[in-house]
Amino acid sequence: MLTTVVGNYPKIPNRPRPARLRAAIARFERGEIDEDELRRVEDEVTIEVIEEQVEAGIDIVSNGQIRWEDDQTYFARRMDGFSIDGLIRYFDTNTYYRQPVVTGAVQWRQPITAEDYRFAAAHSPRPVKALVTGPYTLAALSANEHYGSLSDLVLALAQELRQEVLALEKAGAPIIQVSEPAILKHKEHFPLFSQALQRMMQGVTAEAHLYTWFGDIGGLFPHILELPFSAIGLDFVKGPANYDIITTAPFTKKLGLGIIDARNTKLETVDQILDRIRRVRDVVPVDSLYVNPTSGLEYLPREAAQAKLARMVEGVRQAQEVLG
Amino acid sequence: MSKGLLTTTVGSFPKPDYLTRARNQFSLGKIGREELASLERQATAEVIRLQEEVGLDILVHGEMERGDMVAYFAELLSESMAIGGLVRSYGNRYYRKPIITGKLHWQGPMTAEMWRYAQGLTDKPVKGMLTGPYTMVEWSFDEYYPSRREAVLDMARLLREEVEALVEAGAKYIQIDEPAIHTRPEEDFDLAVEAMALVVDGIDCEFHTHICYGEVGLIYPDMLRLPVKQIHLAFKNTDFEYLKLLEKHPFDKDLGVGVVDVHDHRVETVEEVEDGIRKTLKLLPSERVWIEPDCGLKTRTWEEAAAKLRVMVQAVREVRRELGIEG
Repeated sequence: MLTTVVGNYPKIPNRPRPARLRAAIARFERGEIDEDELRRVEDEVTIEVIEEQVEAGIDIVSNGQIRWEDDQTYFARRMDGFSIDGLIRYFDTNTYYRQPVVTGAVQWRQPITAEDYRFAAAHSPRPVKALVTGPYTLAALSANEHYGSLSDLVLALAQELRQEVLALEKAGAPIIQVSEPAILKHKEHFPLFSQALQRMMQGVTAEAHLYTWFGDIGGLFPHILELPFSAIGLDFVKGPANYDIITTAPFTKKLGLGIIDARNTKLETVDQILDRIRRVRDVVPVDSLYVNPTSGLEYLPREAAQAKLARMVEGVRQAQEVLG
Repeated sequence: MSKGLLTTTVGSFPKPDYLTRARNQFSLGKIGREELASLERQATAEVIRLQEEVGLDILVHGEMERGDMVAYFAELLSESMAIGGLVRSYGNRYYRKPIITGKLHWQGPMTAEMWRYAQGLTDKPVKGMLTGPYTMVEWSFDEYYPSRREAVLDMARLLREEVEALVEAGAKYIQIDEPAIHTRPEEDFDLAVEAMALVVDGIDCEFHTHICYGEVGLIYPDMLRLPVKQIHLAFKNTDFEYLKLLEKHPFDKDLGVGVVDVHDHRVETVEEVEDGIRKTLKLLPSERVWIEPDCGLKTRTWEEAAAKLRVMVQAVREVRRELGIEG
């Protein structure tokens, strides 16, 4: 049973610690520092948030997505075929992203996240999980003004993002997480989703995980187990039905057990964590569990996020003792 | 002669520099509560004077004492809410997200004193300004309630007491903002309506609500179920696209029409504002149409805000004259 995170980590701490990245971005926008200087601060903050995850006891950390404004535009801005439009709500959160608009043929030009992965790996004493936004979610959260259908766009993105997965594999990423929360809102698109992910992951040998959040996989299970991933990540807080859904067929993969609420400051107790692990251990052996928050942690203040990770690790250690 | 095209604003005004500086100094502990409060009153008086000079019909106090529309109330609800840390909303923008830590209850008037002060400065009516129960809860963390429903309904009960305090002070108009109302319309719209009813039902006062940018189409025509007399929408920012919704389903309340964009430095021309008003009047009679900016003016400089309001009032006068409408 290993602990991990699902992606982003709060970019700035609260007083008395200085909000260095926020200040640096503001200064960059005012033309007071150049891009190299901003990148240097981003690097330092990346190291800082890796250290915080390690300090909390996380086994497999992320780079915190410190450079990313959001999961969508980080890729859209670095590929051909997209322009970036106005702010739009991210699912039912109070977080907004600028909507990518597909205005031409989408095309991957060069590695988008591989250098970030290398930097994080070089500065982390623990394995670093690489993160790629999946083709379905990127398409669903963009506006399509070019392709004749959603299918055409999703399949084209799968072909292009495949290059990114291969670049990460080449960079040595031990685990590549493909993030696909949007499929939970459009379950009727599962055949397309499945076709796209098969295409994207064909021949990939690195360990790949498929993560979802903000809902349950009712209607997608057990077919989702046929996809070319070794682990499936589920949100058991926004999707409590997942507890029952995964009992309806043998769970043949590892499970990303999202049981720490990444959207509320209320700290889970060790007992609650134990209970939640107990609820799945008859379905998935404990050594096939990755315990993690329900989604990225940026919905929380930095200190609350770190406290949640530390509590999660405490709960998992207790579970290891109690459940063996 | 028919009446109508009343003018008002959505609530906030830009803070004068001296007040912004004083708020910073207060947060660093360099000046006291009294000194800050006195500067807030000074700025409020300036906001009232500006609105009178421009010639608006229904005034606001300008929210000089407020920073964030949720955190302001959360700080005053100190027995059941705490001020949390910073959370990013987009880009490099962060807000301080409060935490519900106990059973929500009213601890005494939060807005009545400032309303009384502002009303004392003018013969025009001043609107009371509150943040709605759904938005208050949706934009806070909740460490106390087992469900969002229970939190929202308790928040509504305490806001009703605030409404009663404002009405007792003499408020004839109260605006209750619900910018978060379209967060999850399918799941929660009934709850938002029920909560609003808990706040306003049976109280003798004219209630308005402001629904911000966002997927307005998702809650139309459902929003007409909100038990308020007027609903205000940001028309200008979307170039009056919302009129298409109103064409499909008649808008049967008073409509607050945003005619100037608060996120644009450019001051609109009188002609384009008149054009927006005329378009709206094709669908609604003038006595049910209010003319306002798109949203609070705090995002603009004082000069930009004043200029936008002057253009707005001038356009309203032109259209009133043209159509023989009495102000």
